[in-house]
Amino acid sequence: MAERKNPHPKSLPGGSVSTRSHKEGGTSTLPFPPRGGKGLGDGGADRVVLSVDKLRIHYATPQGDVIAVSDISFDLYEGETLGLVGESGCGKSTTAYGILQLVQPPGYIVNGSIEVDGTEVLNLTEEELRKFRWTGLSLIPQGAMNSLNPTMRVKDQIIDVIESHEGKQNDKEALRKRIFELFQNVGLPNRIYNMYPHELSGGMKQRVCIAMGVALHPTVVIADEATSALDVVVQRIVAQTLVKVKDEIGVSLIVIGHDMGLLAQIVDRIAVMYAGKMVEIAPVENVYANPLHPYTQLLIDSIPSIKERKPLKITEGITHDPRNPPSGCIFRLRCPFAWEHCAEVEPPPIYVEDKHEVACHLYAEQFEERRTDALATLANP
Amino acid sequence: MGVFSFNYLLRRLLVFFLTIWVAATLIFIIPRLAPGDPIGAMIARMSRQEGFVENADLIIEAWRKRFGLDDPLYVQYFRFIGNTLRLDLGYSLANFPAKVSELVGRALPWTIGLVGIATAIFFTVGNLCGALLAWRRTPRLLKIMIPISMTFTSVPPALFSLLLVYIFGFLLPIFPQVGAYGRGMVPEFTLEFFGSVLYHGFLPAMSIVLVTFGFWALGMRGMMVTIEGEDYMILAQAKGLKPFYVLYRYMIRNAILPQMTALAVSIGTLVNGSVLVEIMFTYNGMGSLIYSGIANQDFGLIQGTSFILIVTSALAVLIIDLTYPLIDPRISLEGR
Amino acid sequence: MAEQSKDAAVAGGTKKAGLLNRFDNPWLNWKFLSGASIMGFIFFLIFLGNQFWDTELALAGSSPLNMPPLGFTNWRDQEGIPEHPLGTENSGRDMLALLIVGTPRTIGVGFIAATVGMGVGIFLGFLAGFVGGLVDDVIRLATDVTITIPSLLVLIVIQSVLPYIDLVTMALLISMFAWATPTRYIRAQVLSMRESGYVQMARLSGVPTRDIMYREIMPNLLPYLAASYIGNMTGAILSAVGLELLGFGPQRIPSLGVSIFFSIEAAALLRNMWWWWGIPTVILAIVFIALLLINLGLDEIANPRLRKAN
Ligand SMILES: Nc1ncnc2c1ncn2[C@@H]1O[C@H](COP(=O)(O)OP(=O)(O)OP(=O)(O)O)[C@@H](O)[C@H]1O
Ligand code: SF4
Ligand SMILES: [Mg+2]
Repeated sequence: MAERKNPHPKSLPGGSVSTRSHKEGGTSTLPFPPRGGKGLGDGGADRVVLSVDKLRIHYATPQGDVIAVSDISFDLYEGETLGLVGESGCGKSTTAYGILQLVQPPGYIVNGSIEVDGTEVLNLTEEELRKFRWTGLSLIPQGAMNSLNPTMRVKDQIIDVIESHEGKQNDKEALRKRIFELFQNVGLPNRIYNMYPHELSGGMKQRVCIAMGVALHPTVVIADEATSALDVVVQRIVAQTLVKVKDEIGVSLIVIGHDMGLLAQIVDRIAVMYAGKMVEIAPVENVYANPLHPYTQLLIDSIPSIKERKPLKITEGITHDPRNPPSGCIFRLRCPFAWEHCAEVEPPPIYVEDKHEVACHLYAEQFEERRTDALATLANP
Repeated sequence: MGVFSFNYLLRRLLVFFLTIWVAATLIFIIPRLAPGDPIGAMIARMSRQEGFVENADLIIEAWRKRFGLDDPLYVQYFRFIGNTLRLDLGYSLANFPAKVSELVGRALPWTIGLVGIATAIFFTVGNLCGALLAWRRTPRLLKIMIPISMTFTSVPPALFSLLLVYIFGFLLPIFPQVGAYGRGMVPEFTLEFFGSVLYHGFLPAMSIVLVTFGFWALGMRGMMVTIEGEDYMILAQAKGLKPFYVLYRYMIRNAILPQMTALAVSIGTLVNGSVLVEIMFTYNGMGSLIYSGIANQDFGLIQGTSFILIVTSALAVLIIDLTYPLIDPRISLEGR
Repeated sequence: MAEQSKDAAVAGGTKKAGLLNRFDNPWLNWKFLSGASIMGFIFFLIFLGNQFWDTELALAGSSPLNMPPLGFTNWRDQEGIPEHPLGTENSGRDMLALLIVGTPRTIGVGFIAATVGMGVGIFLGFLAGFVGGLVDDVIRLATDVTITIPSLLVLIVIQSVLPYIDLVTMALLISMFAWATPTRYIRAQVLSMRESGYVQMARLSGVPTRDIMYREIMPNLLPYLAASYIGNMTGAILSAVGLELLGFGPQRIPSLGVSIFFSIEAAALLRNMWWWWGIPTVILAIVFIALLLINLGLDEIANPRLRKAN
């Protein structure tokens, strides 16, 4: 209580270099250096492999539809790892399941378009969709603990996905080798080949899910909080495995998570969601060094740091009823900078720089003054 | 497959032997709770009913020896338990000097056959119907037909057998009303005899099946619904597996586990029902044996038959419980 | 997820209150309602019958023998008469009076046995679930053994040595076996609720066990208990009917099962006296189906997942 420090001064967009690069923050004690050196432009051709456009998903409830995902759009580039963050209930999983066509009732997709490698997923027939699954889009599920069929051996659960899509495999020896290879990729011992899920540890189950997820070299892999049920050390090891496998196989990856520290290590870009809207999408260095959207700033601010103690920010969570979102900006009820305009007009995505967009009026050109003012007050409360 | 966990095995065996012990003890105690000298009272009652009893002295002698009614109670008890465990069930009063074990030996296979086949049918059909009820892709028509076919669910089998006998044995006499095989036939291994057994067994088996399979369908449907919400079902869908494969390898395969447990639990009720069904059809099984015991006040027969049926039920439960680890990989090693 | 959305619903305050919103009111379940209506209707008829029909006619010798129901003829070509609209049986009992008197007796046996069994079941189930350890082991063993034994057989053995048995004794004997299923069921429910979040919270914050039991677990258990109770009652009536079909039971004024027993003894089937065994059988069948409907309805009320699946 006594040694309460001032909040850390917030960096200003377009201002001087941030005082809070993640190298200085809590992440520097982590076992491996942060990613991001790869550089977004490095890959040369930035081919879009997944394009989500105006995806909207509702859950029907007796009191009206819960708007879980509200017209979000983004692109995923080839070989890219995109992090999807936001507080609990903001619609991350629903987005993922929407992309995968797995929204469970009472949820349903209201509108939108999901293109994978030029294929419109929403237009596929049932059988086409079945064939497309796992080869086009695969999932590493949120609850790996319960995501494996308890009455099937590990090998059979991997074999069934192979045989469902590639037909009956007659060369059993080759099939075995292939599975051992997958095991090796994710660091699993061969002895689990014949085991049942309950005989594996949580980390092992998660790796099995990863091995399964990449078994068919899909175009895009979506990992929904693939690590959140694991203890911190295993979490990081599994996350590392995920990235390693992803690089080896050359798929694109969407990682959903809460742990901004962990995500910083493994993703190229981060998309921030709030109450079903995507409020900012930016290369990972920008997000940590220079968060633009007030909500992103709040998120970054709440990352615990080991080196410095800062007052715990109480984030109270989404305050409005998800059935009746506020007019204008979705975040305005909690935004410290909100003004009348925010209630009247919904902020469109604003292009900041390559692969960086933010949905906040402050960054519209005509409100530049207001932005400077607002952020100044933040720096000197 | 897996190695039985000591715990699991031990518990099941304990329940098995406890059941037998409890049954034997009950059968020892119950007549002694009745007022008066149990054997004397029995004979007296028989004499009253039938006028006179052939070999009455012999019977009384045999029973006195068996019960050792002059010994202290605990001696009687241990002797009784000893005899019972050796399946020495004494004499039938009405069919003296026939031993109860002989009569039971002849009747038991019929009961096991009838109940076994009926169980196999309602368990298979019931679970299949339940699975189809819950499956998204089941044709509309089936989803309407199955519940209709379940109308008689929970009507007691004995009452339902009355209706079946009336309709298919009396009004439209296409099935025989009584017996387990044709009158005048001798049990032998011929096709003709076998056909006759099936023909006679059809209505009794249907009396059990038609009122029972609905329970299993409902239970299975409930389990399937629960399993549809499991995480591994979402993954199965995401994996793009073939729908039919998902149905049997992911859903039915997992939903059947609690159904097996439920089957073990329901054996007692099942035997209750089949005893009565046998009586309605005068089927040559244990039920009819008990009924003749009741009709003739043949107490030894009632006791012996009941005891053996209880042992048989306990054995059936034991067998189900011991096969369970073979289908649920989690049980064998975790030892729950 | 479901919890979140529930919270959101409460927070939103937009909840439409309304008895007729079928999402909101799980009790508006057609199975439950139709089962309950059938039972209600049966009781109503019994009530009417007691008011307007001479129940003395249920005694032997009170009426002409073997009369068919109104509009039918028997094998002696006698026509049914309005004095005995449902016919009579071979000892001169009026079938209508028999139904009026016998139906509540059969249901009553089930009611008493189920109530006693349920009481014991609740006690033992909670005891096993809460105390655990050796107590739990013993209760579980006793439950498993009791469930394994086909109760009818023991009841037959008991009744065969007893000279005469009245309905209440019969009910109490049946209840000796009617506790096991509820015990097993309640124990399982208590164990699963104990593990659930809100009970854990209560424990952590030091709420006494007894309060947890009454305030947290009991209310949530109620629909389950109700379903279990109805299931138990079905089982008890089944046992009672089973014994009655064997001739154990009240003989002077027969219950439905005893009446069927008499008809079988008298070869009513062969004499085509279908009204004698048929009417009681159909009434019993309707009672069982109604109880099943109530049970299924309660299951759906207790378990939202089942409800959604419809
Ligand atoms: N079955 C459902 N019925 C009604 N609303 C639902 C249902 N499932 C999810 N929701 C709502 O949809 C919104 C988004 O949920 P979602 O699971 O996508 O959140 P999330 O971001 O993945 O959260 P978490 O980080 O906790 O996993 C939430 O407001 C939630 O309340
Ligand atoms: S648009 Fe307005 S309310 Fe929304 S985040 Fe920006 S400043 Fe805040
Ligand atoms: Mg989620």
